[in-house]
Order: sequence, then structure tokens, then C-alpha cells
Amino acid sequence: MRRVVITGAGVVSPLGDSRAALHAALCGGRSAAKPLELFGDEKLGCTLACEITDFDAQKYLGGRNLRPLDRTARLVASAARLALEDSGFGVETLAREAVGLVLGTMFGSLRTISEFDRRALTAGPTYASPMDFANTVISAAAGQTAIMHGLRGVNSTVSTGASSGLQAIAYAADLIRAGSARALLAGGAEELCFESFYGFDRAGLLCPSNNSAPVKYPIPFDARRGGFLLGEGAALLMLEDASRARERGAHVLAEVKGVGSAFDPSRGKDDGKAVAAEARAARLALEDAQLQPASIDCLSASANGSLCADRREAYAIADVFASAARKLPVTAVKSMLGETLGAAGALQVVALTETMRDGVLPGIRGLEETDGDFPPVVASPQNRRVDVSFGLVNSNGFDGHSSSLVLARPSRR
Amino acid sequence: MKQPRRMERRVVITGIGLVTPVGTGREAVWRNLLAGRCGVAPVEAYDTGELSVHRGAEVKQFSAKDYLINTDAETVGRASQFAIAAARLALEDAGLAPDAVEPERVGVSMGTTSGEPLEIERFDDRLVNGELGEVGAEFMARYPCHNISANVAGEFGFGGLNILIPTACAAGNYAVAYGFDALRAGRASLVLAGGADPFSRITYTGFARLGAIAPELCQPFDRNRKGMIPGEGAGVVVLETLAGATRRGARIYAEVAGYGLSCDAHHMTAAHAEGDGAVRAMEEALRSSGTRAEDVSYVSAHGTGTPTNDRLETVAVKRLFKEAAYRLPMSSIKSMIGHTMGAASAIEAAVCALAIQQDCIPPTMNLTEPDPECDLDYVANEARGHEVNVAMNNAYAFGGNNSSLVLKKCEV
Repeated sequence: MRRVVITGAGVVSPLGDSRAALHAALCGGRSAAKPLELFGDEKLGCTLACEITDFDAQKYLGGRNLRPLDRTARLVASAARLALEDSGFGVETLAREAVGLVLGTMFGSLRTISEFDRRALTAGPTYASPMDFANTVISAAAGQTAIMHGLRGVNSTVSTGASSGLQAIAYAADLIRAGSARALLAGGAEELCFESFYGFDRAGLLCPSNNSAPVKYPIPFDARRGGFLLGEGAALLMLEDASRARERGAHVLAEVKGVGSAFDPSRGKDDGKAVAAEARAARLALEDAQLQPASIDCLSASANGSLCADRREAYAIADVFASAARKLPVTAVKSMLGETLGAAGALQVVALTETMRDGVLPGIRGLEETDGDFPPVVASPQNRRVDVSFGLVNSNGFDGHSSSLVLARPSRR
Repeated sequence: MKQPRRMERRVVITGIGLVTPVGTGREAVWRNLLAGRCGVAPVEAYDTGELSVHRGAEVKQFSAKDYLINTDAETVGRASQFAIAAARLALEDAGLAPDAVEPERVGVSMGTTSGEPLEIERFDDRLVNGELGEVGAEFMARYPCHNISANVAGEFGFGGLNILIPTACAAGNYAVAYGFDALRAGRASLVLAGGADPFSRITYTGFARLGAIAPELCQPFDRNRKGMIPGEGAGVVVLETLAGATRRGARIYAEVAGYGLSCDAHHMTAAHAEGDGAVRAMEEALRSSGTRAEDVSYVSAHGTGTPTNDRLETVAVKRLFKEAAYRLPMSSIKSMIGHTMGAASAIEAAVCALAIQQDCIPPTMNLTEPDPECDLDYVANEARGHEVNVAMNNAYAFGGNNSSLVLKKCEV
């Protein structure tokens, strides 16, 4: 069977715009959380977010006409440019070969959708712009990015809530394994916007910002955790058929060794079924990688500070790893990046490739005491030295979707 | 037992569930398509007042409670209601009780253009009217598009892979292709694959502003065609491995043999002038399915009825099939059910499977005056008995996305 390797990454995040910068920020314990600048509303219970301050796509996309691109499309097109550069795909290669894009996103640009509708409501439908309408489709960012960079291969978008980014990488890896594609950009993106922020706020899922709250920041697995903060960003990885990467002498960051996905049909209403689905996704990924749980050297958790989601993930880790869980270092980068929804899983993969390279696993910012309410997770607020041959990435949605991915350090020759 | 290797697994369609503007259920829809019934009428879902067009293809007399047994219809959006109904019909059509299959090995792969747009429209109404305080937890629980595939799995208790592919007007084909890949890779034993979209004022307004909606009829390939007619609905097929279907003695409609996806990388709403991407998608569909161009017996056209689409699709089919294109029947059921968005190519894939099983091709209706630039055999106005061994289902989308799916008569 064909093997799939990662030969580059493009990152646009509130903690930096390269894999090295992201890793340095995470290992420096930097939090991206700060008071909202993009929008505000007196009705919001949460007023903090992990925004990309002063995001300027011109920096990555030069003098191109960016007017037709909304924030989501700019994030994706910028990350794509960086990933193409990082992996050494130039204009000539893209003209010769149909490179594709598989994007994970929860909403696309909800702001574009809602603004188009509201303009028609308030000014009248004849004032709604046809060009804006083209951007209301959830796949618009992937389409705009393909146009900007000449990506003529498979162009797909997948939506599985907060696990979209990892699911997109899993999908792309399968396309390469099956021989349907040789090189694909894959990952995820999400913008911060008022409409989705307000929805999460009303659902009571975000960290309360009032002064009586015990913590205003997300602290995954901590006993004091009270919710998550929303973030934004984009991360795309260049996935290639390993033999093709070898032929062109590409630098390999990691190998996608196995993927697994599962669903909880109770949609989170039944704790046992929710834990079972997460465990199933991880087991399927390990089976796909032909590895035993004990071979995994570290785990990048999906945990974002939610009361319920973090507890379930801890139970799922205990279920899959059994006694090996006691020796499994776990990190949760959402303590610093926030919950970036569709981008989250892809950002975790990028961060883990850096941990594989330099052996430093970022700590969980703010962690004091893991919750005694669930099985112990080997988490730490401090960075740890780890020698990672194989790492597991978990990415879970809020209402049933789970994906896991096994990453392998490239073999040394 | 040792699983067969990936390339040895064949994938077949054993169940079809349809919710369309010309009826609900495989038999009713097929009968009405062959009879040339059109589901186009004045729009009732919302007031099209200020626009210059007012007709659409809506699903009338749909009672969600007839199909949603384990889901409270009030708690899910209209796309999810359609999707669950189509899924239930497909499972029944396949002769599968939901408990007859290992639920953790059943996947759901759905496509959509707009997800659950009525939920964001309600949000926008409240925002505009200064009633945002009335938004509660239900908005986030109902709006995100992944709810469509999640609600289908929730209704039946399916815990296998679950994915929503929002690739606009080609999403149904993408979703079937994903299910096909998942079965071939051994990631599921059975996949419900399809697409769903509800009638939406955002979609209707948008296409109206693009000048793409016809005032009266959808007339694909006609010289006087004036555009598409937005529609709504859902289509779901049961995909399983040939080995599994044979073991349980299932009726097989057709085999999914392969597909091709490509991107023009050219323009968000306009196709490439020579149909480059469309040709590449068809070529890849033929290659991956091991099919020669001359063996294709029917093309289910994207055929929206817009002046540009139909002309360019004709150009692309001629580029690929050359002289044989003139003898190759190609029809568009959008002439009858309108453009059902993310559901369209799923419904059309199901119709291709029926065309193969019944050796009969549904017509392109409302084609009264031939267009010199559209000079192929569009099966005008009357269904045709015709041996269909291989069908190609084409669908195109915003962003320059092209998809072609190849279905074949299943020879064991």
C-alpha cells in the first residue's frame, strides 16, 4: 500500500505564521487569548477570544486582488501559499501537475452568509451582491484558494464540526493511499465572527468573562475548567505519496501512519456512547497504523477546557491505552490557541511534527491539578522532553464526531 | 476472516430513497420522471416579492413525522428532515432493518450546498429586528451543516464514519464518491450516501441576483432556455460491498465503478470556456473505473438550464466522446425537479442506477426548440427505452469544481 508523508506546512494562527513560530509560542507558554477586537456586543457573556490581530493576507499573497476573498478564504489562501512554499511546490510544478485541496471547516464564512442575507433583508434583495453570494457556499474558501494558486486537482471541503480539520487530513491521506491523488494540501480553517461566536456564547459553552468566574481561560483537564475560548486560524499540510516525495528529494516532516473516525449516534447525550466513539476512533487509527497503544510516545488531545468533553476524552484515553496511559505524556494546545474549530486538528498535527523534530512537548498552560473526577491523564503545565517515534492526535466535535490520527517520525537513513 | 484487499472490493447500490419536488419514494419519483412531470410552481416558502422571478421546485406535502421515528422533528432543520426521510426510504428499499447491520460499521456520507440555511435566516431575522436575545442554544445545536449527516446517523443509531461534504452543487457526487472510497478501503461495511438541501431565501436571492433563474420553466439545452429553477429535496443510496450484498441476497441496482474530481481553478461562478476541468473529471472517472469512452451508454447531465452551463457541458462531452457524442443519450432531470443543490447529483446518481436497472432513460423536458450550439441527443420530452450498461453522472459547482461518477450494470 502507498505511504503518505507530510512534506510541508502552512500556518496562519494567533501564535505565529510558521510551524517553528507556532511551536516556539506553544513551548513558551504563550496564550493567544485577549479581549475581542473584531466585534463586540453587550449581550456577550464571554469577551475573550484567540484572534489573529491585524491579520493581513497581503503579507502572504502579495499584490493579488483580495477583494473577492472573505476572511475565511484569506486565511486558507495564505496558509496554502505558505504550505506550497514550505514543501517546495512552485508555479511550474502546479502548472504541470494537478495538485488538490481538501479543506476542513465547520462554518465556511458564516459572516459572509449572514451579511448577504441581512443586506437583502434591510436594503432589499436587489442590493445583495452576486459575488458575495458565490462566497456563501461553504466550499467557497477552497474554491477561491484553488483559483488563486492554480490548484487543479481534487477540491473538496469536509465539515464534521470541530474535528473537520483532522477529518480532512484523514480523507486526503486515503485519497493518496488509494492512488486517486499524489499531492494534496489538506487541513482546516475557521474565522472568528460574531454570528458563530454569539451562537456558542448562547449555548453556554465559552469561558465566562465575569469576575466571579474561577478561571476566565481554558485549562484542559484541570479541575477548575469552565469552558473554552474560540480561536481562529488555518493550517494546511502538503500530503504526498511517499515514493513521489522521495523521487523529488522532498524534506519529510512526518508520515501519516493511520487514521480512524467514528461517530456517537447519541450525539453526546449518552456519556458511555460518547466515550466509546472516541475510543473507537483512536483504536481504528492504531489498527490502521498497525501499532499497539504502547507504541505511542505522546498524545495531542482535543481537550479544550469543556467540562464534559475533557472528561470524556480522559475516559477514552484510559480505555484505549489501559496501563500504558500511565506513561503517555498528553498535551492540549487549545489551552493556548483556543478552540479553532475546523482548524484545530490540523494545527495540532503541525505542532506535533515540531515536537517530533526537537523532542519538546508543550505543557498545558495554567494546569494546576487534573480533575479527580476522571481517570488520571499524564498532563503537565511544564514542557517535557519526549522522544517521539509515534504520536497520536485526537480531534473531537461537540456532538458526536471523533477522529484520530497516528503520526510517525520519518525514518532516518 | 481475512478481509479482501482494497482493490478487490466492489461497491454496489442496493437501496434508493428520494424526496423530490415530483414525489417521495423511489417508485413515485421514477414513475413521474418517466412521465415527464414537472415540479415547478410559484414559490411558497417565502415571499419573492421584490425579485423578478417567482417560481421554484418545492417539496410539497412532506410530513417529517412519517419518517422521523427516533428524532423529534421539531429539533432538527428541514435539510435533516429530508435526509432522514430519504435514508429511511433507502434502508427500507434495500430490505435492511436498521438492526440487521452492525451499527458501528455503518457510515453516513452526505453532501449539501447550504446545510440548514433556515436556521441562520431565523438568526438574521432576529438580528435585524433587534430580537437577538431570543437566540438560545438551539441555534448552535441545529445550524452547523454537519448536523445533516449526524442527524441521519442519530435517527438510526449508526456509529461508523460520519461526514458532511459541503461542496455546493456537486456535493451529492462527492458524498457518493466518499462512501465508495470508504467501502473499498474497508472503513465501513455499509454507507448511506447522498445529499440534501432545503429551499432557502439566501440561495434563491443569490441565484436571482446572478440572473440565473428562469421566469417560467427549466429548459435545458433549448435555444430559448433562460436559466435554472431552484429546488429542494434529498437523495440517499445504500452502498455496500458486492460481497456483502451477494451474501444477503440483496437486489442490486448498479455498481459504482469509479469517479473523477477536478477543479478549473479559473473562476468562482463561471466554468472554463473549453470545459477543461469537466473533461479532466470525466477522463479520470473513465480511467478509475476501467471504462472506455465508447462503452458509456448514458450521460446524466448537470444540465441546469442556464445558457452557459448547457453550452459548455455540450462542448466538454464532445471533446471527450468525439463523434460518438452524437449517438450518446444525455438528459437532465433538472428540467422536472429543478436544481435541488447539494441533493441534485445524489438524486441523479440514484436515477442513473434506476436507468441501468430498468434500461430506460428519463427525458429532458421543455426542450422544444433545438439550440445549434447544443446539438447532441438530449432525449427530448419523452422517456426512452435504451440499454444502459454504463451511466456517467456529471455535476459541477461554484469554485470551478467538477465531478463525474461512473455507474455500471453489475456483472457478478
